[in-house]
Amino acid sequence: MRVVILLLFTSALTTYASTPVAGRWEGSVQIPGSAFNLILDLDQSAAREWIGSIIIPGLGVKGAPLTELAINDSAVSGTIKGALTGPRTGNTSIKASLTSDGRLNGELIAAGNIASFALRRTGSPQVELPPKSTVVSKNFVGEWKGDYEMDGYPRHVTLTLANGESNGATAQLTVVGKRTNEPVVDLVLEENGFLTIQAHDFGITYEGRLSKELDSVKGTFTLGPFELPLTLRRTP
Amino acid sequence: MFRGNPAHSGVYTSAGPRQFHRIKWKFPTGDRIVSSPVLSDGAIYFGGDDGNIYAVEAASGRQLWKHTTGGPVPCTPAIDNGVVYATSYDGKFYALDAKTGGVRWKFATEGERRFEAKGIHGLQPKNQTIADPWDVFLSSPIVAQGAVYFGSGDGNLYAIDTATGELRWKFQTGDVVHASPAYDNGTVFVGSWDSYFYAVDAATGKEKWRFHGGEDPTVHNQVGFQSSPAVIDGVVYTGCRDAQVYALDAATGKEKWRFDNALSWVISSPAVNQGKVYFATSDSSLYHVADAATGKSVLKQQDKAYMFSSPAIAGDVVVIGVLNGTLQARDLKTGEALWNFETDKSKENKGWVLTKDRSFNEPFLYHSNWREAPLVAADRQFGIGAIFSSPLISDGVIYFGATDGYLYALE
Repeated sequence: MRVVILLLFTSALTTYASTPVAGRWEGSVQIPGSAFNLILDLDQSAAREWIGSIIIPGLGVKGAPLTELAINDSAVSGTIKGALTGPRTGNTSIKASLTSDGRLNGELIAAGNIASFALRRTGSPQVELPPKSTVVSKNFVGEWKGDYEMDGYPRHVTLTLANGESNGATAQLTVVGKRTNEPVVDLVLEENGFLTIQAHDFGITYEGRLSKELDSVKGTFTLGPFELPLTLRRTP
Repeated sequence: MFRGNPAHSGVYTSAGPRQFHRIKWKFPTGDRIVSSPVLSDGAIYFGGDDGNIYAVEAASGRQLWKHTTGGPVPCTPAIDNGVVYATSYDGKFYALDAKTGGVRWKFATEGERRFEAKGIHGLQPKNQTIADPWDVFLSSPIVAQGAVYFGSGDGNLYAIDTATGELRWKFQTGDVVHASPAYDNGTVFVGSWDSYFYAVDAATGKEKWRFHGGEDPTVHNQVGFQSSPAVIDGVVYTGCRDAQVYALDAATGKEKWRFDNALSWVISSPAVNQGKVYFATSDSSLYHVADAATGKSVLKQQDKAYMFSSPAIAGDVVVIGVLNGTLQARDLKTGEALWNFETDKSKENKGWVLTKDRSFNEPFLYHSNWREAPLVAADRQFGIGAIFSSPLISDGVIYFGATDGYLYALE
């Protein structure tokens, strides 16, 4: 029995030592005129890859994934994906290191502004994983075209859907107005004939249902505050 | 008066301040200032969102008097024949003695309101009418032919007899009139949020012509004249929220040219000088110079942040305020930056509203509860010493207000 307890204790120590930054970390970040709570979850996946997400109540950030996550010994860095980001300002990132007294101290970096934070471990990690694209039925695979009108002139939309080998469906989206835009689609979902695609960085969502004839998708194209009807028809 | 004269040219006779030396003085008020100052007989007059109309000694920055109205005063007073004229959000129009601030007369309009619409800018809830947070100015009056002319949130353009305070006529438009009328050759010119620009006979109040700008029935973002016109050499120049700058024949209203700004509002009122039109845009943050005859671009420069302030020209310098709390001076001919002045509040950068290079930090500017973001963002912009005010230049001194509550005199 003593041996078993010793082994368990040793195992726990080993786990802790190999993943010293894993856990839920909480503290605050002070930007000029405002202090915000900051909650950071860091963990390792079953494949032993680091995963993380961040919550900043008051800044509209809840469970935003950390990408480009790099953890070397006691140093942590990552980029907040899908929140506090803009086409002109780029992404917000964090950089931190574990202190000798077990705190995680670092900086929040946004558009050249830098604010310090100090976090303490408050529990086990609760990383929120981002939704993953699903496979779409074969009825959706292929090229679709449609038009919507905004500000008095038409935009021509082409959506091409394909199923990837392992990571669900992919989509290519082209919107031609006065200019041609090709927003990167980062999520494709299909459930019972209802399609959702998102290009988060562009504020674009398209949701639509496949017709019984399988030749059109009737739905809504959302661009920021604009919600516009858009029916896509299969390209012959 | 606003923009220096009834035609709103935006051109001042002072020498151009090519260098910034120091703050001559700064005058504190109780709230933000979006009004633009005017000068008469050594006194600076302006309105404050603290509800006061102020007179301040130009030489010293010492308060001469203040008159408290019943609401914010985000308009630019007109001074004529010893009388100060200004509008207030209390729905009244004030005529005050320029020396004492005493009331000569007041005129009650049908009441002020901001431009409003359901679903404006995509704000939620969509079925609720919401006031536009960027309808920040009130109409600034002009005086001509013994009358004072101004627009109102009640949709009317008013002509009031300056001697008696009696209504001469009112001209009804279809929506809020917060643009400032310009006067030229017996005609009053003004745009309305109903999407039309009007030319009205100054004597009778009869419509001479109207011009239709763009419409936006979906989110009401690309509609309405908030910019105030300049009328020079028989041509009316005005910006519009439909992202155009229009040049219209003053006699007929016929469009001479339009300058497309790719969905970016033109709130700034154009300045016109020696055959060129100077204006700035909001979202795209561009400073433009266009040929007054053709509308062709002469100069385009990328700025850091939205511009609602109107350019002021003095000598070979053009000065404009920026919503990131910067006052900029440029060379008139080349557009070369001569100097910048930054308000202290903007340097504090509360809430990281600005990026390190002083552009708007949109993820932090617009972060908020769902689609109420524009309401909150407007408030954040006001919180950083933004400059909505259009500069006044006299004797090499530049006067302007900021949302940090100060009226500045720079030399």
